[in-house]
This record gives sequence, C-alpha cells and structure tokens, in this order.
Amino acid sequence: MAYSCMRCSAGAGAGASAVRRGAAAMRAPAALSFVRCGLRRPAAAAAAKGVKAGMDAGVENPARSAAPSKVENGLPSEITLDDFEDLNPLSENDESTVTITVVGASGDLAKKKIFPALFALYYEDCLPKHFTIFGYARSKMTDDELRNMVSRTLTCRIDKRENCNEKMEEFLKRCFYHSGQYDSEEHFRDLDKKLKQHEGSSVSNRLFYLSIPPNIFLDVVKCASVSASSVNGWTRVIVEKPFGRDSDSSAALTRGLKQYLVEDQIFRIDHYLGKELVENLSVLRFSNLVFEPLWSRQYIRNVQLIFSEDFGTEGRGGYFDRYGIIRDIMQNHLLQILALFAMETPISLEAEDIRNEKVKVLRSMKPLQLDDVVIGQYKSHTKGGTTYPGYIDDKTVPNDSLTPTFAAAALFINNARWDGVPFLMKAGKALHTKGAEIRVQFRHVPGNLYKRSFGTDLDTATNELVIRVQPDEAIYLKINNKIPGLGMRLDRSKLNLHYAARYSKEIPDAYERLLLDAIEGERRLFIRSDELDAAWELFTPLLKELEEKRIAPELYPYGSRGPVGAHYLAAKYNVRWGDLTTEHKA
Amino acid sequence: MAATGLRFRPGTVFPSRATSPSTQPYHHCSPQRMHAAKGRCRLKAKSSNGRPQISASSSSSSFRDVVIDGGPSEDGAPEQGGATVSITVVGASGDLAKKKIFPALFALFYEDCLPEHFTVFGYARSKMSDEELRNMISLTLTCRIDQRENCSDKMEQFLKRCFYQSGQYNLEEGFSELDRKLKEKEAGKLPNRLFYLSIPPNIFVDVVRSASRTASSSSGWTRFIVEKPFGRDSESSGELTRSLKQYLDEEQIFRIDHYLGKELVENLSVLRFSNLVFEPLWSRNYIRNVQLIFSEDFGTEGRGGYFDNYGIIRDIMQNHLLQILALFAMETPVSLAAEDIRNEKVKVLRSMRKLRLDDVVVGQYKGHSKGGKSYPAYVDDPTVPSGSITPTFAAAAVFIDNARWDGVPFLMKAGKALHTRRAEIRVQFRRVPGNLYRRNIGTDLDKATNELVLRVQPDEAIYLKINNKVPGLGMRLDSSELNLLYSERYRREIPDAYERLLLDAMEGERRLFIRSDELDAAWAIFTPVLRELEERRVAPELYPYGSRGPVGAHYLAANYNVRWGDISSDT
Repeated sequence: MAYSCMRCSAGAGAGASAVRRGAAAMRAPAALSFVRCGLRRPAAAAAAKGVKAGMDAGVENPARSAAPSKVENGLPSEITLDDFEDLNPLSENDESTVTITVVGASGDLAKKKIFPALFALYYEDCLPKHFTIFGYARSKMTDDELRNMVSRTLTCRIDKRENCNEKMEEFLKRCFYHSGQYDSEEHFRDLDKKLKQHEGSSVSNRLFYLSIPPNIFLDVVKCASVSASSVNGWTRVIVEKPFGRDSDSSAALTRGLKQYLVEDQIFRIDHYLGKELVENLSVLRFSNLVFEPLWSRQYIRNVQLIFSEDFGTEGRGGYFDRYGIIRDIMQNHLLQILALFAMETPISLEAEDIRNEKVKVLRSMKPLQLDDVVIGQYKSHTKGGTTYPGYIDDKTVPNDSLTPTFAAAALFINNARWDGVPFLMKAGKALHTKGAEIRVQFRHVPGNLYKRSFGTDLDTATNELVIRVQPDEAIYLKINNKIPGLGMRLDRSKLNLHYAARYSKEIPDAYERLLLDAIEGERRLFIRSDELDAAWELFTPLLKELEEKRIAPELYPYGSRGPVGAHYLAAKYNVRWGDLTTEHKA
Repeated sequence: MAATGLRFRPGTVFPSRATSPSTQPYHHCSPQRMHAAKGRCRLKAKSSNGRPQISASSSSSSFRDVVIDGGPSEDGAPEQGGATVSITVVGASGDLAKKKIFPALFALFYEDCLPEHFTVFGYARSKMSDEELRNMISLTLTCRIDQRENCSDKMEQFLKRCFYQSGQYNLEEGFSELDRKLKEKEAGKLPNRLFYLSIPPNIFVDVVRSASRTASSSSGWTRFIVEKPFGRDSESSGELTRSLKQYLDEEQIFRIDHYLGKELVENLSVLRFSNLVFEPLWSRNYIRNVQLIFSEDFGTEGRGGYFDNYGIIRDIMQNHLLQILALFAMETPVSLAAEDIRNEKVKVLRSMRKLRLDDVVVGQYKGHSKGGKSYPAYVDDPTVPSGSITPTFAAAAVFIDNARWDGVPFLMKAGKALHTRRAEIRVQFRRVPGNLYRRNIGTDLDKATNELVLRVQPDEAIYLKINNKVPGLGMRLDSSELNLLYSERYRREIPDAYERLLLDAMEGERRLFIRSDELDAAWAIFTPVLRELEERRVAPELYPYGSRGPVGAHYLAANYNVRWGDISSDT
C-alpha cells in the first residue's frame, strides 16, 4: 500500500477506520500498526477503548459514546486482526457516509485549495467509501457547471499520474451543487433534503466548510445547524480565519458560534498547522534525544519565526486592508507555530493534551508592547524597467491606508523554560523572497576553546537550527566545523536534511491533512476557543494602540528586505535576523 | 627577522586574504600556520594577542593557536641568514617513505607550506646517487587533482632539493658524513633538523643514538619522528622510551599516529568544543555507547611478516582507535595547546579499566571463494607461519571509570580482509525517556535512537541520525540524516594525514603526537590481555575473507546491550 494511505484504510468510513485503527493499536504488532497509521492517532485508539467517549458525549452524536462502534459503522468493536487485514468486506458493509459541503463554493479558496485537496484525498483513497461533496453558494449553477469549474483546478500529483483522468471523473460524479442564500434556513433545508437522498439510510456524517467572508459566518452556522445537521451522525463545521479582529469581536464570534454548535463541532482551521514541517516540529522535539535537552533558555538565545511573501495584494487588498499583516499572519500562523515550538511536553499526542500545553504557553506570554513592534508598508519600486506598485496604489486599498503589510515583533514567554529568550516574529508582503521558517539561534559556547578563531563577536558563530517550512522543506543545523586542510580554519557548515533530496514523494498540501483530520475528528491541529482567546489577548492591546495612535508604517520598497526598523528591533534584544545574513541562501 | 618568514607570509598572503577572503577560501598555509618562522610568529602572536588587528584578521580568516614549543634552541633569536630546515628520511628506500613521506613533503612544498630554505635528505644503506633517489621519488609524486598548475615545474624544483646519503644505521660514520653534507646545504643559516625514522623498530635506538650524537643541529632544533610500533607491550615500550630518552629529550620525540592527522579526527575537537549543541549531550546521561570501527577490505597480501609479529590489536587498536577514543572522551582541556590536550588524554587513558579477556573477541580470516575468485587465508600468506594464531580481527569493549563515562561501553572493532574499508566513530544515544511517539517506534525503543556518525574514511562525512516524520498524511516516523558530506561541501582535496603531521613536527606542534606517558597508559590497558591471549594461545575465530567478520563480535556487543551500527540494514 502506498504510504500516503497508511493513514487511512482504503475505502472505509471514518468511524470504521477509527475503530480499526484502535484495533490495530491494541492487537497488531508494531510494524503493522505503523503501516495502517493507526498509531498516528492515540485519540482514535483511545476512542476504541472507550477512553475518549466522554469527550464526544452528547456532542455530535450522543449515541456514539454509548456504543461507538455500532453506531458508527454497524460493526461490533471486537474486530479481529483478520477482519482488519481484509478491508474490502468491511467497506461493503460500511454504512456510514460523509458529506462535505463547501459553503462559498464559487470562491477562490474553494476552487484553489478545498476541491483540489478533496480530490487528492480521494485519489489517495483517504476518503471514506461513501462520500458526497456539495457546493453551496448564492450563484445559480447546475451540478455540471460546478463540475466544470472544479475540474479546471484539479491536478494529480506529479508522482502519481496513473489513472488520473478516470479518478477525476469518478470524483466529479460525486460533486453536486446547491444554490441558496447564506442566511436562509429554507435553502439549507433544501440542501438537507438533497443530502438525505445521497446518504440513504446509513449513518450520515456532515462536514461544512465555511469558505465565506466572516460577516456571514454566523448566518450560515445558524441556518446549517438548524436545518441541515445530521440526525444520526456527527456534524462539524470548519471555519477559516479571520476569527474576529480583536479579543472582543473574536469572543463575540465564538459566543455566536456556540449558540448553535458545541466546542467539539467547531474546527477552526489554521492551515499553517497542517504544513509538513510544522507537523514535524513535535516529532523532532519529542522523538529525538538530542534536541530536548537543548530546548530552553539555558541553550537557546533566541527564536525567530519568519514569514515572507514576494508579492503584494495585487488588486485584492480589500479584505487585507481591514486586517493587516499582524492579524493576517502573526496572531494566528506565527503564534501557533511559536506555541507548538515552546510548549512543554504534553501528556500524550491527543488533541486536548497538546492544545492544553499550547494554551499554557500563550497564557504565559507578555502582551505585546508597542515598543516591541515595528510595522511597515511597501511602496512602489522600479527595478530593471518594471515598476512594482505601492500598497496604496492597489485600487481596493484606500489612499491613506496605514495598514501594515510588514511587521516585526519581539515576544517573551515568562515561564521557567523561556524567561528572557526573545521570540522574534517577522511577517511581510512584497519582500525580496518568499518563505516561512523557524530559526533557533543557540547561545555561544561558554569558555570556547576556539574563541580566537571566531574573533571578538562570539555570537556570529553560534549554532543555529533552521526548520524551513516552505518552500523547499528542509531542516538543518548549522555547526562549526574545521575546513579540511592543514590549517585550523573554522567554518559554519550544515548538517542538512533536504526534503526534496530525501523524500521523492510530493508533500501533501496542508488542506488535505486538515480536511482529513476534520473528517476523522482529529482536533490536534485546530484551534480551540480558549487558545484563540489567549492569542487575541496578546495582540489586542497593541492593535488598538496602533490604530488609536494612527501609527504610520515605515515604508519599504516593493521587493526589498523590508524596513530597517526590523533590524533595530532585533538589535535591541541583541539578536540578528538569521534570514538576512550574507551566508543565507534561500 | 627571518627572511623565510617574510617571504612566506605576512607581506603577501595576509593582506590578500584580508581583502578578499572569498577568493581563496581554502587556502590554508595561512599566517596562522606558523612554522619555520617560529620566532617571528611567536613574536607576532604575542604582540598582537588580543589586540584589534589580530582579531580583525583572524575573524575574516583563521587563527591557528600559538604553539608552545619546548624545543631546546629556538629561544635564541634567529640569525641574520634566516633559518633552514633539513628533513632526513631515514629508511628512504622503504615503502612508507616512497608512498607517503616524500609525496607528503612535495605536497607541502607545492602548497608553499615548507620554509623557503629546506633540504630533503634520504638516508639508507643501499648505494644510490642523488639522481637515483630523485628518480625513485619522482615516480610517486603526484599533484592534487584540483591543483595541477605548474605541477611539473614544482616537481623539478622540489627534486632539486632532494639528496641522498648512504650509510649504515648503527654506525656513526654515515651520520657524520650526513652532518657534513647537511652543514653544506645549511650554509650558515640557523639549522633545524628533522629526522623521520621510517625503519624497523629494532634499529630505532641505533639510529637515534648515531644521529643524535653526530648529526644534531648545533644551534637549531633537532627532532625525531618515530613511527609505530612503539614496543609490543608495556615493558618493551617502556624500554624503548628509556633508550630514546638516553639521547633525546621528550620534546624532541615525535611519536606519530597518522590517524590523529586525519581530517575528521582533527575535527572531533572542533565539533565538540566549538558547538554548543554537542557538549551537553557528551556524557553517560545521553550517550548509550560509542563505537570505534576500523576495517580494511584486504589482507596482508604477502607482506604479513611484520604484521604477524604484532597482530591487529597492537597494529590498530592500542594506538589508532585508542587515541581517537581518548580525544573523543577527554574533558575540556584548559587550552588547545599540545600539553593541555595531552594531559586530558592521559587522564582518560588512566581512568580506563584494563581490558579483560572476556571483553575481547579475536578473529583471523580464512580463504574464501566468491564469484569464481578465491581469496587467500591469512595463513596462506607465505610471509606468515602456517600455524599463526595472530588475530587479523579484534573487537573489544572498554570502559572509562570516570564521572562522565561510568558504565558507557566503548566498543572497538578492527579487522583486515573484511567486506568494506572504513574508519568511523559512531555515537549511539539513549532512547528518549517517556517518548510520546513510542507507539510509532514499536517495542524496541533502542532501535530508534539518535546516532552521530563521524566517518573518518573513506568519503569523509558527519551525520546525525534523527527521527523524522515521513512527509504525507499519516504519522510515520523515519530515521533520516542531518548530513554533512565533505565531498559535497568541500571540493578541495583533503590533505593526507602525513602532510599535516610532518608540518606539525616542523612547527613543533605536538598536539597530534603521542607523549611518553600517554603511550605508557595505552599499553597498560592492553598489555594484560595481550599477554593472556598469547600465553593461553587463544585461537582466533575464523571468518571468510571479505565477510563482515566473526559473529563473536555481535555476541560481545550483545553482552553490553549494544548493536554494531555499521552492520545494520540501513547503512
């Protein structure tokens, strides 16, 4: 079996696979469970043992906790290893279905990310056998028109072109469209009817993906939950950022959602958490002996979280201008990565245990001070005959906009592990490069025997661990090394793991992972309400101050390295940005 | 100031390096490599120590630590004519001289690492003219692949400075004749003399006596490089040291262990002490075991005479592997000065338990036919007695009973006629306590531990095996490598160990040479077991030529809950 689907049992319902995974965890020898990826999911395993039942109780499916296996797939939980090996008979009997409704189907995200991710999951046999996809939006469209639209953005992975067209057709056959208003319960009731037709009499699970502007989140949630919830399976809602603009609006949104949904039905997506190297961060820390001893203020001098895009808003600044880079990137993506990076060892890999630790990190952090933030906005720039527009040249952006397109910030975690260690964040649009990376700069070697080889500034020769999230995934550790030769010259070289060189398979898009997680009820990579509150608390005072004082961003040319203010901010904490040194190559 | 020094560097090399460090990134005979112009270099180091100008220059290039030279005669100011170095290769017609020493000298010359005034003398019993010597040498000289420019020119220039003197090893006549010729070449300059004894051990003392009496430098230093074997056991080694010391001071004796000149062995200390991320892990708290592995893929091939007298334990383990172990395990030295490092190494050796017979496995290769070709057994070698029980393979578990290493097995393995040729250090770390991912790893948590590998040869590399998530939707862990492959990162050819060591000897840098007390301590660990092996005539386990060695090595490792890292499916 291809390892992509080690995670999911081919053609099986989500519930069934969860039980099977549980069975694998309990019975199968290590190697086997490895392959089924059952062990990936302690939560699922625990569910099969009845441990997790309490958490799900009364949530999506009250019956589930009482007799999970029976309700979910109509099979007794005592699945033997033989059953487990023999997948097909199981799937034939598998009666649960999953319906994925993409609300806002004609939008950009849906076309570019959600439908392709669903297809990729289907192609890799990761979707349950019985699944249906519905597009929902206001515009009138037939099923065929939707299929046409979707088909334009579907691609097969470069390494798996086999049967691609066939698979595409099969997939498209299971895509349908329903047009309706976002605030009309009646239209959702019509959708419900259609869904029921597809579901037949089996246990129906429903996933709504809200790919819509935030101002209609609540309308849709209300209508969908009232008129289109599953009666006998689970109903889950995936919500995309923005989750409010500050503590108050975010709390209001949460309250609104919770009128209609319970916490466990809400899947707040942060697609950065679905990135391969972010997933790998915990593996690196907790499955290797060599990193954890170093993971504290004793050895780490600073941590840098860097995000850059090499393009601006390009005519689509309307949404962005209301939020700005801090809300758009820092408060969610970078902060989430920071929390994962800095958290204490969780009790287990189960979602609630991990999220508990993340919340602890966020709550130990000092709210951001204005002094510790630098903001910038790109201005137009002419290079080699091409003129790149400034941010305010964007027609969708007001002329006098002060919205930052760049921000750098220094944050601190006031706990025993991280006291005094600056965590520097930097995010910007229209910079000279694109990428996302985590850089961990270690302290200098105390009493370094080779100090004369380094000159006066010992900090220029410290170790650095770099986790490059995108593009060109890699992990490398910069070490000091002797240059081969008769002299004693030291050199910084890399202990390198370049993903493209080591892993030939294409790395799945973050959305695939997250969609699959939502279908499987794995909440590890989704943001819990209290996490969100804690995150906003860190940024809200600062955001208010920036806006009230109308602080002008430092202008930087399109395609440059960003405002120099970022360097001064770093210098204040005795840090040097690791991405802007001469030796760094993208 | 010495003309050699002036010409050699600061005027020329130094500024160009400072202004364009990137154009010659790997040029190494930098000002920091301070050899012949010792007086000058020491002066410079002293005067500029800690001052801005030196830190500026050294940060852009490098700094070779100032050498503390205890040589007898270099405290005097160099004379007006400058200094000169004569290198006399005693045993010039031998194999080592032809294959290693002369080529290394030429490489140093080619790279401008020799002082301006130098003379190379060959000394041996056979009659030969200078020309004949030059012919002989020229057959083995090569230029580095990456530096072919002017190679023939340079060769000629080098050969012009090679001379030959024939004489007996135990007679002073030959050496006084040599002394006369040396004086001629030295032409009134401050004479420094280096003797490289590339001769059988039974004539070491004769040569040292004759040469030191009649051919010592009158005003400069005189040093002797001695090659292994340094005795067969504690007593014979002690005896040899005592005899050498009748004629030489400790500072004049340079016991060479060419493994210490290997690039990655040199780098071991750099890795440990100039990186923050390794030292915290360098103890029994994190390291489960250390493996020192040496293998050759050929046997004695008709030259087993010498080897049969010594065996693999003396030939490889007691010196090369033990030296690497000491460097690996030593505490942080006070400085990088030779005496500080050697002090720490001695401490490690003296903390080690004497090796017990139970902790040793010996083997000997037997004949083997593979793919129509048959490979001879060790005892088939005509130069080896047919009843020989000399081990051509040995594995041993040694322990360092100090606070840092108590209970950590250090496993050594060395063998000839194995399936592969390599030398490496493998550090296996403990498992992660309370591993969150234990279910992904299966029942044997030790299988998924981190491992740091320093591959000394061939194909120099450093890599750290880490557990990583296999990209994809599942959660599969995978052991992958954080890798530094030298050939990818450093395109320049890595100099031969002999080049480094010869240059060190000329510079009086003793860091990589073995001090008498180190040697004593090393023999003390091995002598009892060597004696027991011989007294009991312990028969070696036979293993086929070209195999992975006797299985006994696995059982030995298993005794200490270790798995050899080099013999697993993933390497």
